[in-house]
Amino acid sequence: MGTTRSSWLSYVRRSPLLLFLVFYTVVSGGPFLWVAAMSLRTTPEIFAAPYAFPSRLHWEKFAEAWTKSNYGTYFWNSVIVVTTAVVLITVLGAMVAHALARYRFRGSRLVRFAILSGLILPPQLMILSLFQILLEYGLYNTLTGLIVVYVAGHLAITVYILEGFFAQIPQDLFDAARMDGYSDFEIFWRITLPIGVPAIFTTVTLNFIILWNEFLYAVVLLTDDDKRTLPLGIMHFMGSHQLDVGMLATGLMITIAPIILLYGFFSETMIKGMTAGAVR
Amino acid sequence: MAIVAIDKLTKRYDGGAEPAVRDVSLTVADGEFMVLLGPSGCGKSSVLRMIAGLEPITSGTVSIDGRVVNQVPARDRDIAMVFQSYALYPHMTVYQNLAFGLRRRSVPAAEIERRVKGAAERLGLTSFLARKPHALSGGQRQRVALGRAIVRDPKVFLFDEPLSNLDAALRVSTRNELIKQQSEIGITTIYVTHDQVEAMTMGHRICIMDRGEVIQVGRPLEVYGHPANTFVARFLGNPPMNLMKTELEGADGGLRCRVAGTAIAIDGRFESGGANSVILGVRPEDLYELPAPPGLGPMAEIAVRVIAVEPLGAETLLVLASADDAQEFIARVGRQTKLAPGDRTTIALDTSRIHLFDAASTRAIPRRRS
Repeated sequence: MGTTRSSWLSYVRRSPLLLFLVFYTVVSGGPFLWVAAMSLRTTPEIFAAPYAFPSRLHWEKFAEAWTKSNYGTYFWNSVIVVTTAVVLITVLGAMVAHALARYRFRGSRLVRFAILSGLILPPQLMILSLFQILLEYGLYNTLTGLIVVYVAGHLAITVYILEGFFAQIPQDLFDAARMDGYSDFEIFWRITLPIGVPAIFTTVTLNFIILWNEFLYAVVLLTDDDKRTLPLGIMHFMGSHQLDVGMLATGLMITIAPIILLYGFFSETMIKGMTAGAVR
Repeated sequence: MAIVAIDKLTKRYDGGAEPAVRDVSLTVADGEFMVLLGPSGCGKSSVLRMIAGLEPITSGTVSIDGRVVNQVPARDRDIAMVFQSYALYPHMTVYQNLAFGLRRRSVPAAEIERRVKGAAERLGLTSFLARKPHALSGGQRQRVALGRAIVRDPKVFLFDEPLSNLDAALRVSTRNELIKQQSEIGITTIYVTHDQVEAMTMGHRICIMDRGEVIQVGRPLEVYGHPANTFVARFLGNPPMNLMKTELEGADGGLRCRVAGTAIAIDGRFESGGANSVILGVRPEDLYELPAPPGLGPMAEIAVRVIAVEPLGAETLLVLASADDAQEFIARVGRQTKLAPGDRTTIALDTSRIHLFDAASTRAIPRRRS
C-alpha cells in the first residue's frame, strides 16, 4: 500500500519532466514520421487524408524517384561532392589546426585571424564574388567548383574546433616524440591525429550533415540537371506548375536516410573514441 | 657512453629582459650521474632542454663526445629523456609506448620485441604490456617512462623532475630504483630537480643553479660541507643553515666574532678576505644541548630562549632566540630533549664547523688549509 502510494507520488513529481519529453519527442519526431508516412503514399491518397497512415505501402515510389526523377544522379553527385569536400576539409583543417596549436611563428596570429574571419561572414555576402571567381576559372557549373567552395567555407569552423582540442594535448608528448626520433609531420600523423580522433569525428559528422543539406551555394553555382545535388533534386518536385507532395516526401526520405545512417554509425564510434580504454 | 660538455651556454627567451640561462659551463663525465639542482625558474630545465635539442640555443655550445651538436636535431642526438609528466602516448599500449622510438629507428621487429621484453622485465612491467597508460598507477607510469628511455639504449639520459608527481612513499622507492638502474646501465645521466634530498642521494655530483647561473658544482657532501655562498648554504640542508650577520673583531691571530653576545674565536682558520662585515653560518646539527658530546671541536656556549619545540620523532628541532632577541636560529637535537617553549637555557656551538661568508658578496670566505 505504502509503496504503491510512493511510486505514484514519484510519477506525479516527475510528470513535468515526462510531459516535456513527450512534447519534445512529438515536436521533433512527428514531422519526420509524417514525411516517412507520406513517402509511402501516393499524392491523391495524401490529398484525401493528409495525416492518415499508409493503407498500402508504395515502395515502388522510391524506385520511381531514383530512376524517373533522376534521383540516382543527384544522390551520387551529393556523395561525390560531400565526401570529397569532407575529406579535404578534415585533412587540411587538422593540419592547419595542428600548426596553429603547436607552433609559434611570425604572423601566426594573422593567419589565425584570417582563417577564423571566415566564421563571421554570412554566405549570402560572398555568393556573388564566388560566382564571379568560379566563372573566371572555368569552375562554374562543375562539381569541382562546388567542392572548392565547400572546403573554403567550412575550413574555418573545422580549424576552430580542432585547434581548441589539439591545444590541450600536452607539449611534453610532442617533445617525447621528437626525442623518439619523429619528424614534425610524423608527429602530426602518429600523435595529434590519433589522440584527436573524438574531435575529428565531431567535425566530420558536423560538416557532413551541413554540406549534405547545403542548398544556397548549390543552387547558385550549379545549373545542369545532371550536376545537381540532392537538396536541389527536391526542388524538382516543387516546380512552378505543380507540387507533387508524395514524390517530394519520397525524395526527402532518400535525402535524409544517409544522414541518419551516418549519425547512427559515427555517434557510436565517437563515444567509443572518447572512452576507448577507460573500460579496458 | 658519452661525455656531455656545455660551454658558456646562454638562453634568452623572446621578450625576456634577463637571460633565463647565463654562461653555464659544465662537463659531465662518462657514466656520471649529474644532478642540476635549483629553485623553480633557475634555468635548470632550460639547460636540460637545450642539451636535448628541444630548445634553440642563444649562444654557447653543447657537445657530446667532443662533437658540437648545436645544429643537430633532437632525434639525431641519441639522447633519451624522461619528462615530469611522463609524456606517455595515451593512445598506445605500454608495449607500443616502449617500442615507439625503436620503430622509428628501423630496429628489426625481433630485436624490438627482445629489448621491450627485457626492459619490461627489468622494471617489473611484464604483466602490464597490453595496458594503456590511463589504466596504470602513477608509479607504473613512471616506470614505463623510464623503460621508454632504457630500451633506446641511448648515449645520454635526461630526467626532468621525474619523481615530483609521485607521493612521498613511492618517491623514495622509485628514487632507489632509479639509482639502481642507472648504476647497472652506467649511462651518462643528467637529472633536473628542485628537491635537495634527491640531489644529495642520487647524484655523483650536484650542480647548483640560481637565476640562470651555475653557483657551485661538486660531490654532494662536498657541496653540503663547503657551500660556495649563502644561497647554497640555505638551499642545501633541511632545516637550512642558520645565518647570522656579525662583525669581525680583533687582529689576525686573535680574530673573533660575536654571536648573540658570545665571542667565537676564528683565529687562523679562515683566509681573511679583508671584509669586516661577515655572515656566520651554523648548520642546525652543529648546535648541541649541554652537556655537548665529547670528541668535537671547541665549543662556544650561547644563552638562548626556546621559542618553539618541533618533535619529528627521530629528532627534535628547537627554534631558539638569542638572549637579546636579535637573532633566531634552529637547532637539531636528540628526541629526548626536555626543553619546552619559554625555557631559558644554554646551547653549545661547535666552532670547528662554522662557515663564514662575506656580507657584501655573500661568497664563502675560504678556510685556511692547515
